Amino acid sequence: MDGITNDIRRLRFEHSEMTQQQLAEAVGVTRQTINAIELGKYAPSLETAFRIAAVFDKPLESVFHYARSSGS
Amino acid sequence: MSFREKTAWVSLLAMGGIYGAYFWSVMAAGHAALDGGRLLGTIVALVAVEIVFLTVIALFAPKDARAPRDERDRLIELRATRVAYAGLATAVVFACFFAAFKPPIVFGTNSLLFILVVCEMMRMAVQIVQYRRQA
Repeated sequence: MDGITNDIRRLRFEHSEMTQQQLAEAVGVTRQTINAIELGKYAPSLETAFRIAAVFDKPLESVFHYARSSGS
Repeated sequence: MSFREKTAWVSLLAMGGIYGAYFWSVMAAGHAALDGGRLLGTIVALVAVEIVFLTVIALFAPKDARAPRDERDRLIELRATRVAYAGLATAVVFACFFAAFKPPIVFGTNSLLFILVVCEMMRMAVQIVQYRRQA
């Protein structure tokens, strides 16, 4: 199944165990939105995705991945 | 649960309870016409209940209450409004159809208000479902 996955949880852990609230404040969204993104239940806008990547000082493709199933 | 979801719950339950009591009393009294005084009292009660409950919720989570709507909140609101609009449009078409008939089908102002209230409650319910799905 196609879908967007991400490494936000791991990156938060690697950045001094940053909390969802701290990331949310840095990005300008609510903690619940960060949680929904982490769980893959909400695909963020391109702008928010870039902001999240910028917080971790990583390129977008290091944070978000597009998983395409074979045959689709 | 986010502040926006709690807000939707308060609005849904307050509207269900207060407008439910209003329509129940209108039906019990057998009034098809709008009773201005009764409706004004209902609106005042609804506003008062929402202010009290939202103030209490904000006191327990002031940070969440101060946070502006983000993109996910706006998207959920838009989806809910789209569903409620479809419901409203359908109901209006039916209302026009029934209004073309003479009694025994009586379609008064209260019926239009009922449609509006149901669609607004539908909007709140869809918001809650969307928030729950993404929680």
